[in-house]
Amino acid sequence: MSGGLLTALAAITLTFFALRLAAGDPVASLLSQGLTTPEQAETVRRSLGYHLPILQQYLFFLGNLVRGDLGVSLYSGQPVSAIIGSQLASTLQLALVSLAIALPLGILLGSASSWKSRPAAQRSATTLSGLATSLPVATTGVISLLIVSLLARGQVRGVQLWLPALVLGFAASGPFARAVHSGLESTLSSPFILAAKARGLNRTRRMYWHALRPALPAAIALIALEAAFLFAGAVVTETVFSRPGLGRTLVSSILQADFPVAQGIVALAAVLYVGSQVVADGLGWILDPRLREGR
Amino acid sequence: MNFFRRTGVWQGSLAFAILLLGACATEPTGLRELTYGLTLAPTGIDPHINASVELGIPLTSVYDTLIFQDSDSGEFVPGLATDWSISPDGLVYTFTLREDVEFHDGTPFDAEAVKANIDYVMNPDHRSQKAAAMLGPLENVAVLGSHEVKFHLDRPYAPLLDSLSQVYLGMASPSALEEWGPVDYQFHQVGTGPFRFVEYLPNDRLVLERNPDYAWAPEIYRRETPGVDRITFRFFEDPATRALALEGGQVDVIGELPHHEADRMDEMSEFDVDPVLIPGQPLQLIFNTERSPTDDAGVREALVIGVDRSRIVNTVFGGNSPTAVGPLAANTFGFAEEAAFPEYDPAIAAGLLEAAGWILPEGENVRSNGDTELKLDLVVPPWGSNPEVGQLVASAWEQLGADVSLTVAPGFGPLNEARAEGEYSAIGMNSFGTDPDLLRPFYDSDGFFNWSGYRDLGLDGLLKAGAESVASPEQREQFYQEFAEQVRDAWLILPVRDYVNLVGSSQRVEGLHFSSQGWFPYLNDLELQP
Repeated sequence: MSGGLLTALAAITLTFFALRLAAGDPVASLLSQGLTTPEQAETVRRSLGYHLPILQQYLFFLGNLVRGDLGVSLYSGQPVSAIIGSQLASTLQLALVSLAIALPLGILLGSASSWKSRPAAQRSATTLSGLATSLPVATTGVISLLIVSLLARGQVRGVQLWLPALVLGFAASGPFARAVHSGLESTLSSPFILAAKARGLNRTRRMYWHALRPALPAAIALIALEAAFLFAGAVVTETVFSRPGLGRTLVSSILQADFPVAQGIVALAAVLYVGSQVVADGLGWILDPRLREGR
Repeated sequence: MNFFRRTGVWQGSLAFAILLLGACATEPTGLRELTYGLTLAPTGIDPHINASVELGIPLTSVYDTLIFQDSDSGEFVPGLATDWSISPDGLVYTFTLREDVEFHDGTPFDAEAVKANIDYVMNPDHRSQKAAAMLGPLENVAVLGSHEVKFHLDRPYAPLLDSLSQVYLGMASPSALEEWGPVDYQFHQVGTGPFRFVEYLPNDRLVLERNPDYAWAPEIYRRETPGVDRITFRFFEDPATRALALEGGQVDVIGELPHHEADRMDEMSEFDVDPVLIPGQPLQLIFNTERSPTDDAGVREALVIGVDRSRIVNTVFGGNSPTAVGPLAANTFGFAEEAAFPEYDPAIAAGLLEAAGWILPEGENVRSNGDTELKLDLVVPPWGSNPEVGQLVASAWEQLGADVSLTVAPGFGPLNEARAEGEYSAIGMNSFGTDPDLLRPFYDSDGFFNWSGYRDLGLDGLLKAGAESVASPEQREQFYQEFAEQVRDAWLILPVRDYVNLVGSSQRVEGLHFSSQGWFPYLNDLELQP
């Protein structure tokens, strides 16, 4: 748990300094948008505390963070917590629907790629899960938009949720497929499967009832790791599909050097990531009796 | 499967699904609706406070301004003010206001409302990013009568009318401003324009509905009342998805199409592409006049003449984009055709470099003046195809015999830092705007953006005269024309390209036209073919 907190703190600290190194002075960026006089800029800089030494700024930032105060956007003046609140639901919806697609799809692809007696199915499943892992979401996203636009000229629907969820879910199914596949490879050769075969159980039953079960905990425990993947994927997916959400807000806040917003979202992501790691460990412990007995 | 066949559930659900799809596809509501694609989801859309260009696309039609600018003639015409006069010293503007106007929330529009708006913008606590600066040396607004106001200025300021014709100084309902305050007002905007603000969900959509009471359209509008009932704006930040959104029917109008997509859409009969010129400063490279070798005007001249600007513009931006010829884009007030920068001529450029002492040693690629090699550092911002332009300019300069290093700064902050360190020969920059006073921060000796480091009392004087020349637009124009000649003769910049917004629209949309700024459509005049 304390390790988790350290991870979150490290992520937040890194972001704090990286943003200042990469995006420079946020007030300069405000200046470029029309604040013309340097005096006005100086007033803004002071009111935001950007005239202080960077370490002092960092300590102030941490202090506010602990009190739950994420600050306000440099541009819209809205509290960062309100901005996150307005975008969180949309990202969660996309992530959950994608997950609901990725999990069964990954299990299907993973088990089909262990299907030795059906070489055609095995080959296509292996190819598909390879594509899922290696194709960037930006590419599959634009390609899927292109296909849908061509097929449904002028009648495109579902672009707001189903298409992005499919694209993201497809990408996220890759790791599931790999986990299921490698789990199956080891169990399919174990004696109890041979025993099941000897008892005359048919192939499908052997595969999905006996062999898959020990392979599943590894895949389920991946869900937590996938939370991080889905968030990273949401950054791209939300932009390509013009969906509201935290990912897109993060990108635009970094581009505009709206530091408080970017920091707030990264802090939330870090906490979510660490939290999901803890959940993952717990899930693995519950699902796999071998882990419990090992203690 | 057998189970499904027996019961017919399968066929039933298929039929149901088809019905559902059909129902979704038709939606016979009778409303004249259209969807407009924006290309950036702005953070903050309060025109009095925020600076983004994108906010003006929907909001120009939510607000009326005291005056409007005719985009063809450049003349100012009555808006919420029926008449105005300027005192001979240029320090007092008196506006007579319409008496028949109501805000969308029922608040009557009067002199107090104008004062409330200007006070709101000038309130330092509201941290206006653009509107306050647009008011220049404005001291205060005084209410003379129920429908008469006076603007008092500290010194003459010719850009004021232009400022007052833009959405950033549009008139908002004083009761709504008071009710919501500077943070929340952006979600509850109330104007007097042809469209009412319905809702804004950041990153998702912004919805406008026609104002049924609109009866005070300015003469620059082609219709008396709005031609559509409802407009939904959606945000398409990824350039690769914009043409697809138009083709897929997700939007009826969308701006900032990539040029190759625009060419493709233009050939299809279902779509129109309108290249809209944006006034302001072209995409340009500003030379550093404080550092060798660009401190030598002869070298700067060679670096301008030795670059085939038209070819670069054609390569990067396609055929729809004009090559820039001076410090102002061709459709900006004060543009001077006579002061155009000369065309490409590599022989003259090579001669100029030789004359400046930069000789190409036998068998070498880089010129030298005996002591040092001809080294150039080019720094460009990451946006608006600046990196591609930078690359082509760098290779043209290499052809001339220079050793060029190109740096793409990752954002405005780093660009400004590179500038502050002074380690550059030329730096990329552009800006948008209708009034030529936008040149001042870039060319005034003490201007914030004086990145050339050039200090010249003659230029300062022309810019000051231009800013203060309220009485005669003709004379004002002359100041800027003379200014353009001096900028060319000092070779302070390498002008590259006038900005063009490639706006794609579906054939069923008619009446699309834009304000002088180029970005802002007059939504009142949009019509949908049945």
